[in-house]
Amino acid sequence: MEQSQPQPQPQSQGQKVSLKPAKPAKQQQPPQDKTAASAPADAAGGDKLSPAELKKRAKAEKAARRAREKSERDLAGGAAGGQGPNTLPGKKGSDAGASAGAPAAKAQKAIPRRGSAQPGSQGGVAVVKKKQEDKTVAVFGHLYGQQRRTTIAGAGKEVHPAVLALGLQLRDYVICGSSARCVATLLAFKRVIESYTTPKGTSLSRHLTTHLSHQITYLSTCRPLSISQGNAIRALKLEISSIDPSVPETEAKPSLCEFIDSFIREKITVADQVIAGSAAQKIKDGDVVVTFAGSSIVKQTLLTAFKQGKKFRVSIIDSRPLFEGKNLARTLANAGLEVQYSLISGISHAIKDATKVFLGAHAMTSNGRLYSRVGTALVAMSAKERAGGVEIPVLVCCETVKFTDRVALDSIVVNEIADADELVLTQPPHQLTDLPDPAAAPGPEPKKGSKTDPSESLAALNTTGSPLKDWRDTRNLQLLNLMYDVTPAEYVDMVVTEMGSLPPSAVPIVHRMSTNM
Amino acid sequence: MPSHSVPLTPGLASFLKTLKTNPIDTSIENLISLLKRRQIRHSRSCATATAHLLRSVISACRTSDASKLIERVQSVGRRLIAAQPREMVVGNIVRRVLGLIRDEAEDDRDGDFTLSEAGSESQPQTPRPGDDPFDRSVSKPISSLATHPVSMFSLLSHPDSETSLPGTPATASPSGRLPGHTPNKDIRAEVLDGINEIIDELGQVDDQIAAYALDHIHSNEIILTHTSSTTVQKFLLKAAAKRKFTVIHAESYPNNHEATHATVSGKAPDDDEIISTESFQKPLIAHGITVILIPDSAVFALMSRVNKVILGTHSVLANGGLVAAAGTRVIARAAKVHQTPVVVVSGVYKLSPVYPFDFDSLIEYGDSSKVIGYEDGDLVDQIDVQNPLYDYVPAELVDLYITNLGGHAPSYLYRIVSDHYRKEDISF
Repeated sequence: MEQSQPQPQPQSQGQKVSLKPAKPAKQQQPPQDKTAASAPADAAGGDKLSPAELKKRAKAEKAARRAREKSERDLAGGAAGGQGPNTLPGKKGSDAGASAGAPAAKAQKAIPRRGSAQPGSQGGVAVVKKKQEDKTVAVFGHLYGQQRRTTIAGAGKEVHPAVLALGLQLRDYVICGSSARCVATLLAFKRVIESYTTPKGTSLSRHLTTHLSHQITYLSTCRPLSISQGNAIRALKLEISSIDPSVPETEAKPSLCEFIDSFIREKITVADQVIAGSAAQKIKDGDVVVTFAGSSIVKQTLLTAFKQGKKFRVSIIDSRPLFEGKNLARTLANAGLEVQYSLISGISHAIKDATKVFLGAHAMTSNGRLYSRVGTALVAMSAKERAGGVEIPVLVCCETVKFTDRVALDSIVVNEIADADELVLTQPPHQLTDLPDPAAAPGPEPKKGSKTDPSESLAALNTTGSPLKDWRDTRNLQLLNLMYDVTPAEYVDMVVTEMGSLPPSAVPIVHRMSTNM
Repeated sequence: MPSHSVPLTPGLASFLKTLKTNPIDTSIENLISLLKRRQIRHSRSCATATAHLLRSVISACRTSDASKLIERVQSVGRRLIAAQPREMVVGNIVRRVLGLIRDEAEDDRDGDFTLSEAGSESQPQTPRPGDDPFDRSVSKPISSLATHPVSMFSLLSHPDSETSLPGTPATASPSGRLPGHTPNKDIRAEVLDGINEIIDELGQVDDQIAAYALDHIHSNEIILTHTSSTTVQKFLLKAAAKRKFTVIHAESYPNNHEATHATVSGKAPDDDEIISTESFQKPLIAHGITVILIPDSAVFALMSRVNKVILGTHSVLANGGLVAAAGTRVIARAAKVHQTPVVVVSGVYKLSPVYPFDFDSLIEYGDSSKVIGYEDGDLVDQIDVQNPLYDYVPAELVDLYITNLGGHAPSYLYRIVSDHYRKEDISF
């Protein structure tokens, strides 16, 4: 619900800094009396901060706090404390508990800076805490970061309208999938570059990158950037910085646009065709191909193979909450393929008569692991551990632009957490059986109930339909909506890329080759 | 259909209500159609309904000839099993009742056998329940006190009925007591008592299993579970009273997610026929246990942090494998890959003597509109939507079974099967 603008960020940072020196100060100090000035100085020395720096931070913090308080008032208090402040009360509490009683209070008074900083933030936090406990799953605490942006309000004025729109589309999964996001970002940046004019006194190669960074920051507040987006942006920035400052803007801009077009063409459009072509060769008549969720490249592969006249069956496994496989199923069925569809609970049945597994990728990590939509690992595992001992080959279709030099061992260190509210079923399945009811549900419900018995029971069903509705107010209940998981390299037999078909262990080499080019 | 059941939704409750008033044949037909229509579907409901029906059948049967009773129960049992062959508990209960009758008949014939199967049957059971005294005393059924003078069949049908008596080792008591009781004892009364004990067992099996919880859950553990199984919930609740741990709950979409959501958030499940009396218990979150609800797809991602997987089941097979809600197999696999122990909690009544040669025949497929709703009707025309309800989980994926008799390795289950069912009844 809250707006995570840049403002809370420095504030929480500042707070952390201001808290840190206070802690040792308190532990040492109770016997000593209010040498207020020396205490923070001591602590600051311990923290390797010069007093001047500390002062500067404090000032920044104060300004940020004011800004935040103002925005809070504007937002009717609802927005208070994002994740940053939320993590703090624990610390504070333990602090106060450790040095209980009067000395603690004295110490608090003795340090004016902290004392003045606290009432505001503590008040806000207390309100928030009463309303909702910390709903972050502890193991994934590091992934929550900022909340996703909900509106375009507060976006910097530098952000181009095309990027603004893209941000919202990314957030709402209108544009979803690693390649699609990459292409959409590049196209939006192309428009940014087209409408860009270099301010006086700077050169395009210097200023355009910072101008783009604003767009990128905005995009990443809508949804964390994908690996492919990151790679594309890196390539674009490299291209910009390699432009000779003496080249006039009128020449540089078309050449950049040309670069973007050729990047999309080479790295994605053509690459997809090549991959689809070579992966389709792997499909034989009579195959049963299992795939998970909806990968554009797998779709293209299957359609290519179908066009080549191969007779095979596709079994799509899908999962909540995105149901990406539905679109894939629809497209394939419309094209005339024989499609079977089941959810992740039916994996072991779907895999039973499978002969091949085709998976899409979000990224391939440098240690050969597949980083893809959550659930992929389960499918790959089932393919490898099928009863009867027969292993089914698992093929990953992946453009090299999705290769990354990052490594991942588990799905916890690197991941993306989506809004947990997506897991709450918004419309109970009963709703469709009684169409007028849900529309009128909130208002005239009791009236209806008095009229007829069955509709009352239906209304009751509707209200009890999603018991998770108020999960944020339910103590100790947490919902976790992961986006990705990491499939061990031993489950992947082959990675089909535009540069050929490789074992997963070849990923780092190919990545190095493709980035050095 | 009986007119009494009109106000009630057809189900276990309506069946039990009409059982007393209806003639026995109507009741049999009633249960068969309920089973066929899947209006009674959970293992426990099926077992309870079957036990109650058989009790009525036997009390309506005006004979004390054991072979006639057996014949009657067999014919009813066959029809029930044919109505819903995948609810294996129906067959289990029928077999246990048959076993009761046979035991009684044998007791009548020769009261002084000492070393037959019946004697050895009770051996593994009697010592075990003794080590969970607190729970037993709370949930002690009244009827088991009332039926105290029953002879040794009670030892095998209802293991805890005599645990309060210290000196009843299995080998000593039958030969000592039987001659006095049995000669002209009415078989039917004995069998009815035995069935009552089975019904009691069904009522308290979860509490008995839960009594072992503290032996298996340690502090600060992260436990993954699946579906809204009451057995698992009670197991965890029992541990929650003493220890703090974290539960990760996979929601088992699309067949059981609503119940799971309700269980997790502590809202009373609306249509739960099984546990109508006990559904008012506090949820885990009220005990200060952190419950994390995840979609089924995130199981692999989280498995590396999970210390233990605790699963409920639909039925357990003699080879140590089990049939459980769809998605269980993948979870058990993922646990195996991560070397996480998999614990299955299940009442002994779910333990089936059937050996599955054709695993596919055990799997029931459910409503595909739960997978793709009517709003995607166009899609349903074009594609084949599958919604399996159950998974077969092979024995090698399970590390431990916890039944109301204690913990067992999967390889030991065959022994419990042979304790509970007589050979001649396995395929009747």
